[in-house]
Order: sequence, then C-alpha cells, then structure tokens
Amino acid sequence: MKKNFANLNYYEILDVTPDAAFFEIRHAYNAAMQMYRADSLVSYSFFSLEERQEILNLLEKAYLTLINGKERKNYDKELIQLGILENVGGRAGAKRSAGIYDASRQWGRAAVLKNNTTSLREKVAQNKRINEILSKQEINGADLKAIRNELGVAIEKIAGETKIRLDYLISIEEDKVKRLPAAAFLKGFIKSYLKCLCIEPSDDVCVRYMDGLARIGKNN
Amino acid sequence: MAHIWPIGGGKGGSGKSFLASSLGRVLAGLGKKTLLIDLDLGAANLHTLLDVPYPVKCLSDFIHKKIPLLENTVLETPVPNLYLISGAHDNLDIANLPYEQKVKTLKAISKLNYEWILLDLGAGTSFNTLDFFLISQNSIFITTPEPTSIENIYRLVRSIYFRRIRQYFNAADFKVLEEQVIQQFGEGSFNKPDCIMQAVKRAHPEKSLQLENDFNSFGFKLVLNQLRKQDNIALGAQICKIIEKHLGFQIDFAGNVAFDDRVHDAVCQRVSFLDRYPYTRTAYDLRELSKRLVNSTSEQLLMRYS
Repeated sequence: MKKNFANLNYYEILDVTPDAAFFEIRHAYNAAMQMYRADSLVSYSFFSLEERQEILNLLEKAYLTLINGKERKNYDKELIQLGILENVGGRAGAKRSAGIYDASRQWGRAAVLKNNTTSLREKVAQNKRINEILSKQEINGADLKAIRNELGVAIEKIAGETKIRLDYLISIEEDKVKRLPAAAFLKGFIKSYLKCLCIEPSDDVCVRYMDGLARIGKNN
Repeated sequence: MAHIWPIGGGKGGSGKSFLASSLGRVLAGLGKKTLLIDLDLGAANLHTLLDVPYPVKCLSDFIHKKIPLLENTVLETPVPNLYLISGAHDNLDIANLPYEQKVKTLKAISKLNYEWILLDLGAGTSFNTLDFFLISQNSIFITTPEPTSIENIYRLVRSIYFRRIRQYFNAADFKVLEEQVIQQFGEGSFNKPDCIMQAVKRAHPEKSLQLENDFNSFGFKLVLNQLRKQDNIALGAQICKIIEKHLGFQIDFAGNVAFDDRVHDAVCQRVSFLDRYPYTRTAYDLRELSKRLVNSTSEQLLMRYS
C-alpha cells in the first residue's frame, strides 16, 4: 500500500522530479487541477467534500512553494535534512532553466526609473544647470543630453523604458535632423523622453524643442 | 492454462457485452480458441450479439445438474474459433446464485481448456459479480466518459478490493477488524480499502503481506468506451492515475474506444459491427485493444479456485 496522499512531499504531490524546471511544475499543477477540481469528471464522486478541499489546499501549497525560487530552496534544504532528498553535487544551487514562469520575478525592476520618480523630481528642481536650460527660449538635442547627464540617467535606460529605438534617441540628442522621424512621431518621442526624466511641463518644453527644430529647418 | 479476462463495469449500457463480443470476434479471428461466458446472470444477452438467437443449452443446465460438465454447455457460434456459454434460458432466479453453486461454477471455469476465456459480467457490485472478477488476476473495467459511469467504476474497484480483503477472514474476525478500523479512523472509514489495509497490517501482518502480493499481481485494465470527439482523450489515463495515487492500486489504461452511432445499427441488424464497418475508428480501436490484451502476459489464476 502506498503512502497516504497527505504524507507525500510536494514533488510527489505534483508528480514531478526534484530537479523539475519551473515550467514543468506549472504544467504539473495544471494537470493536477484538471483532475482534482470540483467540476472535474475524473475525480467525480471519488472524494468527499472535505477530502477534496484538503487535497486542493495541499496542491496549492505545494505549487506556491515550488514555483518560488527562494521558498523552494528552503524546502529542498528541509527535505535534505530529513534524508528524503539527496544533496546531489550542490543541487540546491544548481543552475535551473530560465525562470520565465518564476512567480517571484518582479516586472517593474527592469524599468528602474519608474521607482525613483520622486528623487528625479527633486534633482530636477534643485539642479541649477537644468533650470538654466529649461528657461531657454529654444531647446535642442544637446540641451536634452545635458539634462540627462546632469540627472545621471543612461540613454539605454530611457530606451528601455520608453521603448523608443536607441538610434532615434541618439539622433535626437546629437541633432541629426535628417535622421529624425516624422514630426508627428518626434513630438511623441520627445514627450516620452521628458516624462521619463520627470521634466515638467513636458508639453511646453516639447513645443519649444519643435520650434527650434523648425527654425533650423528654415535656415537650411 | 487459459487467459481468463472478466469484463465488467459499474453501469448498464457502458458496453460490457459489446466489448466482450467484439474482443471475442477479434481474438477468434487471430486464430485463438476463444470462449465467451455470459455471466450477466439474469440479464444475459451475449447470444443476441453473437447471432445465436436460439441457444439450445445454457449455464443453468450446468448449475442445476442437467448437464454434468461445463464443457458440454458450450455452443458453437457462426464465427470459427469462437464459442459461447449462453445465459439465455437461465432460470429466472439465477441472479441470486447460492454460494456453493458459484464456487462450483468458478472451479469449472478455471478448468476449461480454451486459450482465451472472456467473462461478460453484470453491472453492479453484488458478491456474484465481484467473485467472478476475482477468479482471474486480469480483468477489464469498462466505463464511458460520463459521471454516472465513472462513479460506478470507482465503487466497483473499491468493492473488489474490499471483497478480496474479506475473503481472507471469517465472519467473526472481520467483525473485529471492522470495529478496529472504525475506532482508528472514525466513522465511514470502513468504506475505504486503504484504511482497512492499514488496520490489517497492524493486526494481521502475515495476511496483509499476502494481500499485498495479491494486489500487486492484479493486472487490471481500464477501457474508456463511447468516447465522442469532444471528450477528453486523457480521461482514462487520469482515472488510472487517481486510483493509483489515492487507493494505491495499479490499474493500466488499455485504450479508448470511439463512439459510433453505427454500433446501434449493427446491434439492431444482429450483425458483427467489426465485419459491417471494418474501417471505422471504433473498429480500429477494438482491434488495437485486442492486440494490446494479447500482448499483455500474466496468466496465472488465483489459486483459490484452481
């Protein structure tokens, strides 16, 4: 007779091997839900109401533990201590496949700027040089670049956050007029760029940039 | 020794008799000397599916000693290599077969000289059905992908294991065991074979060892019948998995058999579905199923009746 379901470890509950990748665990969880859900045909009448709830709770706990890298490591350590799991060549720290299903991954982290809008705003308000630039009648790409450098934000970060192509951003900063996109797009890009650096009012600054650009165009 | 395959399912209309007759036809077609026994006591109709509308002798003749040897109740069918013990003219009280006569029948079946013997069992979980199941270590459960049918299959599987455990004890000992189980696991746990097994393990270790041996040697198969195209094809495998995981009993999924309206037509016209519609999905499934059964080994009978 096999072990009682409640005495199985999380890997056994989900029917995966201890070195399963995150996507395998997720897959196993979905498969298990198909079997144990209240409206499942497979387990119809097999369990009483309480038994089913207990199983579903266990599944949930197993899934949430194993899908979370940190908690899984702790759980593995527990199992190793109990002698259930063998510590194969530092398996706990072994490289696992990329965690695209990693529930603990935080999406905001990559776009750093979102998190420090307040500190950026303070810097903009306090920095003399930025205020000087912003008070000018016309603003060109070099001014934008100067502001960005004052704030210490890399151009790649702006590209990452605004999703504007890097070569456009460089063309804007270096005033390569011929390489710039059409005016309609350019306006949007400039506004995003300014918003990204928390410079206000972005509409007004954008208008002054476009004016400057129009004058350059006339002169040429 | 013959391969004896009881075929059963919890619910009427799930296709037990159809499967038995179809498997019989395929096996006979493969050149195996095959015997079908209609053990759906009191609701026999295998003879109709095999186009033997007026059977001259039947199982009752053996039970009531009109024919002393079971071999002599065997009928030939229109299919070469395929033989039948019919239940068509069984006495009307045959459904309640007394214990001695059942044991006599079981013994006689296990001594028959055929390559394959398929037992078409009745629905439900009466002792008769369960004991005929336990004549062999192999058996086929058939279910349709409907909750009514699946519910009954789970009940049937549990009943069979329960019956097997019960066979190891006399009435008094079993009563004691029952009390132990209820004491240990609470009210209602007596319906769970796994709880009973744990109690057996504690109180009668040697018997639990024998039982576990028995259970491990069971070669139960599950067939999912009448699978329509919108049904979940993985259902059969999932049912086996849940039984294995929560009851601890090994059951193999033998395959799906597709639903086909023309089965009804073939039954009504009393012709073989496999001959009339050989190129349908259903016919293909049935042939594949037979092949898989032929290839699966384990032919030993439980010693109890041989």
